[in-house]
Amino acid sequence: MSKPKTIGFPRMRKESGEKRVFLPEFIQYLVNLDVEVFIEEGYGSRSGLTFDDYRRGDESVRMVSRQQAFQQDVVIVLRSPTLDELPMVKPGSVLLSMLHYPTRPKRVATLKELEIKAISMDSVVDDRDLRLVENMKAVAWNGLEAAFDLLERTWPGLVRPDNQPIHSLILGTGMVGKHAVEAATKLGNIERNNDHLEAGGPGSLAISIGRNITSQPEIMKQLFNQADILVDATQRRDPSRPVVPNDWIAWLPEHTLITDLAVDPYTLDADPPVVRGIEGIPQGNLDQYIFQSDDPVWDKTVPDSIPSEHRRRVISCYSWPGIHPDACMRHYADQLNPLMKILLQKGYERLSPHSEYFERALYRATLRSWLEHGFYSPRPR
Amino acid sequence: MHFEPGERRAFLPRFTANLAKLGVHLTLEYGYGSEMGLIEEDYLRLAPNIQFASHHAVFQQEYLLILRCPTDEDLRLIRAGACLISMLHYPTRPQRVDLLQSLGIEAISLDLVKDDTHRRLVENLRAVGWNGIEAAFKVLQSTYPPPGFGSSERGPIHVTLLGAGAVGAHVVQAAIRYGNLALRDHLASNDIPGVLLTVLDYDTTTHKDIMTSVLAQTDLLVDATQRPDPSKPVIPNQWISYLPEHAVLLDLSVDPYDCDKDPPYIKGIEGIPQGNLDKYIFTPNDPAYDLLPTCINSEHRRHAASCYSWPGIYPKECMGIYGRQIQPLMRVLINKGGVENINPRGSYFERAISRALLSRWHKEERVV
Repeated sequence: MSKPKTIGFPRMRKESGEKRVFLPEFIQYLVNLDVEVFIEEGYGSRSGLTFDDYRRGDESVRMVSRQQAFQQDVVIVLRSPTLDELPMVKPGSVLLSMLHYPTRPKRVATLKELEIKAISMDSVVDDRDLRLVENMKAVAWNGLEAAFDLLERTWPGLVRPDNQPIHSLILGTGMVGKHAVEAATKLGNIERNNDHLEAGGPGSLAISIGRNITSQPEIMKQLFNQADILVDATQRRDPSRPVVPNDWIAWLPEHTLITDLAVDPYTLDADPPVVRGIEGIPQGNLDQYIFQSDDPVWDKTVPDSIPSEHRRRVISCYSWPGIHPDACMRHYADQLNPLMKILLQKGYERLSPHSEYFERALYRATLRSWLEHGFYSPRPR
Repeated sequence: MHFEPGERRAFLPRFTANLAKLGVHLTLEYGYGSEMGLIEEDYLRLAPNIQFASHHAVFQQEYLLILRCPTDEDLRLIRAGACLISMLHYPTRPQRVDLLQSLGIEAISLDLVKDDTHRRLVENLRAVGWNGIEAAFKVLQSTYPPPGFGSSERGPIHVTLLGAGAVGAHVVQAAIRYGNLALRDHLASNDIPGVLLTVLDYDTTTHKDIMTSVLAQTDLLVDATQRPDPSKPVIPNQWISYLPEHAVLLDLSVDPYDCDKDPPYIKGIEGIPQGNLDKYIFTPNDPAYDLLPTCINSEHRRHAASCYSWPGIYPKECMGIYGRQIQPLMRVLINKGGVENINPRGSYFERAISRALLSRWHKEERVV
């Protein structure tokens, strides 16, 4: 296949709270690049969007079945289709999605076997290895906004009984961690922070620590004793070991909120097994991301073999950017626009690692590049 | 660039060679890159057509690319209708804007080249954070009281960061690692406690009672704020007395003093000297304190680190980064046949360049 002529947009069949779809502006942008767009029936309906919103009178936009949406030259879907859904993509077609090659070996094998020309959005990186399609700011801000929302129910106006600033303890100083620091110092929401400060509120302190502190239990105990919000934004070198063993949770005051931004899964059948950064907490999604200590769901999502005796309220969501779906998808569209232009001009096979800026970035995200080099992926720092 | 002798930065031969490949006639000033140990042959080896010329002749070219803005005297050497590409900071330099406009010069301000999400495409804020933190920790190693910075008996180092914006975000990552990965690895391998970083938003810093208790425990205080009112310091000089004697002050905001303004402009941490690439470390008895403008209170002092151009500490690394960021902009500029053909609704990089054009800069956007 040379230049793609058609693009399919299947719906994401995930939890009902997953409302993200590409917005009509992005579809119109693509149509102006001289392609036909096929969107699955009902696409966007959870956000109140109709087919007419997408079509805008342009006959290049068509409504089709799910099967047909998957049968186009290029298939675009934000979260990866399941292994069962991948065979719907035609051999030789391009699949553009968050595919996470480094941590999904089964998916990579399936894509290769099905001869799908995959491009993983999370592997589109520039010459400095910085991701060009990412929304880590939303991960941090949406997570912290939810945490401060919940804390405000305990302390109206977010004023502690002793009138001291809210203490947020942030584990991890990577991309998500540094956004979390900013969000924590602004009470998770700039408007709320401004109101709080205007009312004479004491504000918030963010305390950020890395591995050389998290490995020291005595210091951690002191920090936990003072934490109102504990944030996990770690990228662990060894995902088989938690950063915070369940016993340490007992050091936290009863009112403390645990905010999970790392969202590593429990994968106990992997070798070595993968456990969560904070031991014994549940994993949420867009349907449920707040867990009280006595939530019956807790025992359903945490495997029996994982210690979970000590509990505090937890905020956890697999897809934090999806909390504000429209803002999230506008952001992704802005990032994808220049990449789509290149992809539609050149096609997959002619992408070169030696060409211009966006083409190089796109090339690095291809399955071909991953299989040949393996190292074109955001590396933990 | 003719600034302090410590300013050694020049674009690297790989960058100029890539420009030459685009078919433009390149002229470099005699001695270009010599402060970084580069000689003319280093440039000519990769691009034999490059010419070397006098300072005056270089400033007479159609396009002039120079990282830091030239002096007013040099700006007057540029011919009318030419295009200056440099860090020009229109919002905070209204007099510079007026001068450029009066000289009939078009300009592209590199600090204003932004993408559709308002992300700067030419920036090295990472180096501001990392280079500043590294320099400050070098000082702290010498001032830290017994049992000493390198002792496993000491507690964690307390760093307090004021401001959590773009520079502050890099400080978060740098401070946890002492600004130096080799030092981090060395200390960690000897089980020496790491860094506790406390971050405060600018607005929170107005609470004196909160600040005094935070400052009393601070080993390294970092100013990375962007103040809406430069006449009000974040840390008034008197508050410096709350810091331990061994504490180090790090200035990453590098706002200037200006006693001619009413009220006077004051650095975020009141009473510390303004440094540059020649001198950026100041002991409490440094003569530089005596040269501060008389309107500034500098009674309370600690060791301080301040540099107008933190990225310039490591010039080759810095220019490698800037070169990679500027290259696609230059390609577009050349391929479009000149700045006058840049379309504000054109390609990604055209739109980005367009946002930085002096001719599209409106006075009402000025922020003083």
